[in-house]
Amino acid sequence: MKPKNILILSVILLLIVVGFMAGDFFFSKGPNQENPYEYDLTKQKEIDSSLICYQEISSIKPETDYLYGIATDENDNLYVAAIEKLFIYNSTGHLINTIQLKDNAYCLTVAPSGNIYLGMADHVEVWNKEGNQLQSWPGISDSSIITSIAVNETSVFVADAGNKVVFHFNLNGELQNKIGEKDTENGKLGFILPSAYFDLLIGRDNELWAVNPGIHQLESYRSNGEMITSWQRTSMQLDGFSGCCNPSHIAMLSDGSFVTSEKGIERVKIHLPTGDFKCVVASPDQFIAGTTDLDLAVDTKDRIYVSDPKKGLVRIFEKMNK
Amino acid sequence: MKKQIIVILFLIFTSLQFTSVFAQQRFPKPEFESGHTQPPTLKPEARAPILEYLDIVVLLVSLSLVTWLVLKKRSRIGVLLMSIFSIAYFGFFREGCVCSVGSLQNIVLAIFNPGYHIPISVLVFFAVPLLFSLFYGRTFCAAVCPLGAIQDFFLLRPVSMKAWVQSVLGVIPYIYLGLSILYAATSTDFVICRYDPFIGIFRLNATFMMFVLGGAFLLISMFIGRPYCRFLCPYGVLLNLTSRLSKKHLTITPAACIQCRLCEDSCPFGAINKPVPAKVAEDRKTIIRRYSWMIILIPVLMFIGGWTVASFHETLAKVNPKVRLASIIHENPTILDEDTSIDIDAFRSSGKTRAELFTEAADIVSDFYLGGWISGAFLGLVFGLTLTKLTIIRYRIDYTPNKGTCFSCARCVDYCPVVKDKIEIKTLKI
Repeated sequence: MKPKNILILSVILLLIVVGFMAGDFFFSKGPNQENPYEYDLTKQKEIDSSLICYQEISSIKPETDYLYGIATDENDNLYVAAIEKLFIYNSTGHLINTIQLKDNAYCLTVAPSGNIYLGMADHVEVWNKEGNQLQSWPGISDSSIITSIAVNETSVFVADAGNKVVFHFNLNGELQNKIGEKDTENGKLGFILPSAYFDLLIGRDNELWAVNPGIHQLESYRSNGEMITSWQRTSMQLDGFSGCCNPSHIAMLSDGSFVTSEKGIERVKIHLPTGDFKCVVASPDQFIAGTTDLDLAVDTKDRIYVSDPKKGLVRIFEKMNK
Repeated sequence: MKKQIIVILFLIFTSLQFTSVFAQQRFPKPEFESGHTQPPTLKPEARAPILEYLDIVVLLVSLSLVTWLVLKKRSRIGVLLMSIFSIAYFGFFREGCVCSVGSLQNIVLAIFNPGYHIPISVLVFFAVPLLFSLFYGRTFCAAVCPLGAIQDFFLLRPVSMKAWVQSVLGVIPYIYLGLSILYAATSTDFVICRYDPFIGIFRLNATFMMFVLGGAFLLISMFIGRPYCRFLCPYGVLLNLTSRLSKKHLTITPAACIQCRLCEDSCPFGAINKPVPAKVAEDRKTIIRRYSWMIILIPVLMFIGGWTVASFHETLAKVNPKVRLASIIHENPTILDEDTSIDIDAFRSSGKTRAELFTEAADIVSDFYLGGWISGAFLGLVFGLTLTKLTIIRYRIDYTPNKGTCFSCARCVDYCPVVKDKIEIKTLKI
């Protein structure tokens, strides 16, 4: 190629480069629609369908704008805490009673005796199925945020996210002791609760199971506060939990496996008693993005109930026959 | 010498503005109320201050060595070796930062933004090459600047360029300088760093666009010598101006020029002034008339330039993120409720009101208006002085480097057959 042509081409390329730089600087700066720091969970929300072991069989739609919590009893009745109401459904899904409450109950459980324990903002109320209030315990403290209640034959355990501790009461509401208090001198981290997600359940041996969501750990305690065991699964994959406060809710199947739900990644899974991942009950694509408060309950047939506040449903899942 | 003293005093005065050179923590660690103990933040170790001073020492030694190689040893090989070192150290090892070219913006920002504290190394990297240039010509460009050195290595088949093309393209660095100062002064952006075409190559990490940009410049460098240095580098404008005042600049011949014309085409950068035969001197009246016209024309050009650039001040200001955001919200007030862009999110979480944002944006636009007048006037001045220069015929009898545009690369010295002191021709010794 002749030098003159090379020069012309080079100058043209130079002008193109300079023009491109100017164009890029002045004209390519529209509103930035992409957040480069966004926590992109798209990949984490993809679930292999072969890992799904439950299917949705029906749902219940209570007459309310929001669902706070659900529980089942030994007769497979379903109790739904909603805005200043408590709905009771029988095992076939028919509404059998609606109890008007003075305030919202944010969590609930049904004792072996059949009494219903409601966690109000800072205190516990005890009701029977017929709608009679049996007890109203005094408030625990001004900073209390009761997020879960678990009851066995002799004890009532109250998870207080405000005080970051589980209060152990007897059935009359007398405080017995505190469980899981932070004690750094003895290496006890306490419950790490970045937000008000702090769930409890009673295990098959009457032991207390509590979620330590900040470290993605489930911990079991004796009623005297002594820790029995724990398992932790921190993972960005399906086999564990991630984020600030997961699992947000737990329930237990008859074989001792744990049903877990999460916030951030809207999914319900089953973990074996050892903590290892077993299978998926409901995948993120079954929920509206951003759904939280997926409270869980399990009936005697190991059907799993999931409260879905965004859709206003209690969704019922049954094990698939594979 | 008076001019040099004035420039030195200016640099000393500028240096005194930057007494505090220590970095500060800009973003305090957020405090959570959950009681959760915040784990210590893991971050790369800050560069040790000793290494910062090492950079300064390396710069000073390199500049001194290159200056010695160019002026005393007249060694092209030495310059080449130093170029390799500069590419390795200032380029790949220091990853193109700290860089004299970009330091210009830090200086401007420090002048216009009292909250910005400039590191001592940046100040030295800005001032020292200018000082060397003031006394010895652009020896910094010869082999210390990694941007120039890497282009020089790609110069495989230089093609000579017409003087008028060089003059036209040579306006771009002045525009670039004006814009980069304007955007740095308004704390908008460091344009020079954003569009440094070789930084991605030195860091072996860049966006695709920046790699393409760097690749394009290196491709052009194969035929047009140092295209970035000659037709874009804003720092080169300053070096050009200071170098014109240098007394001990590189000479093509070590003694008297014998007019052999061997060096005539040796410079791939078109930086050799050729002899201009003496003509009949113009009469005094013609000279006075021409200068009178120029005295009138330059302020007019400055006014036109200032008015023109200031007219575009709103367009120029839209590059500023705050102005851009204010503009978007002004055009579509409901965007605050529906849009989820990072800019809108950041504004929402800042807690500021729209009125506050609009006031701040208006202040910035006002700064751009003033800056537009100054930048435009500067460009008008450059244009006027260039015209003036074209009308002045300087008679020369020897081949001499153009002190402003010469990179002191010492290519031309190898073409000169004259031997120093002996006043004899090399070829005669053979």
